[in-house]
Amino acid sequence: MAYSDKVVDHFNNPRNMGSFKKDEEGVGTGMVGAPECGDVMKLQIKVQNDTIVDAKFKTFGCGSAIASSSLATEWLKGKTIDEAQKIKNTDIVQELNLPPVKIHCSVLAEDAIKAALADYQKKADGALIDTK
Amino acid sequence: MDHQHTHSASPRELQMARSMCWHCQSEMSGEYFCERCVKVQPVSKELDYFTCMGFPRRLTIDPRQLETKFYELSRAFHPDFFQNKSAEEQTISLSNSALLNTAYRTLRDPIERAEYLLDLEAGSVKQIRNSPPADLFEEILELQDTLNEYRAVEQTSEAESTLRTKLQSERNMLEQRQRNMEAALQQLFVQWDALQDRGEATSQARAERDRILKEMREHLSNRTYVKNIVSDLVSTIG
Repeated sequence: MAYSDKVVDHFNNPRNMGSFKKDEEGVGTGMVGAPECGDVMKLQIKVQNDTIVDAKFKTFGCGSAIASSSLATEWLKGKTIDEAQKIKNTDIVQELNLPPVKIHCSVLAEDAIKAALADYQKKADGALIDTK
Repeated sequence: MDHQHTHSASPRELQMARSMCWHCQSEMSGEYFCERCVKVQPVSKELDYFTCMGFPRRLTIDPRQLETKFYELSRAFHPDFFQNKSAEEQTISLSNSALLNTAYRTLRDPIERAEYLLDLEAGSVKQIRNSPPADLFEEILELQDTLNEYRAVEQTSEAESTLRTKLQSERNMLEQRQRNMEAALQQLFVQWDALQDRGEATSQARAERDRILKEMREHLSNRTYVKNIVSDLVSTIG
């Protein structure tokens, strides 16, 4: 099976690889795995005034999983929390031209986005309660 | 109580697709050859692999018994024996054989067998998805960084041998962990079989069943994560 040019590009030049400190203010961390194939994905967002100003990822898995998370971080930057919630795995499938056997990689990326957003929300809510 | 771990279906009988012979339309009660016209019958596509091979849903299976059953059914259905038969019979032989092969391949491997049983008993993997093991994930991602570092470093340099030593000890630890997980799985298999053998329908038995399935899911998933990083380690440091 051949990877699409876009997958190869993201795989060879992954965007936003790395990580933030978990407890840094405004950082949300999503850590997900696919037990079916053993891929592991960590996706982090940095939020200021309800906008995602930066995003980073680390992925252990196949080329499609790396490309999916790399693309996800690209898309996340500059989006508001609400806009980010709307990113769907099907958008990733379309953009990267993923074959059916690799669709679960895009699902993993969507799960990672959701988990990062939820983690940010949880931290933000907690901070709110603390200041009360 | 049924302690029988061997064939639950009697020989030459299986769950079939139809209750009537496709050829002579005489009534059938599970034989895979029609008693009247002796034509081969299609097995049900709904047949689960355990039933197909005539085994109860247990996780301890004697590989020789499984193999014997596989050969027996292969002799009945193999397309080679239907070369001079009608097109319908050839098609049936082909699809019966395909199901049989998949069933045998799946049940032969203890891990795949357990994955399959989980699918049957608890629906898809997603339905009993556990919270991901964050510590293990952090470890895997960190290890991957070290692997990348190792790949980038000049060969036969001092940095290379330091990294190699580090990776080697990580590898030993992870392999040990994989063995521990497999031992834990083995115990769960025994517990599952014992629970099935008791055949109780109490709420306690149901809770026990759910616990076993959940723990099995957890160990199987974690084993896959560990196995993947180990094979990455092995292919990198040799």
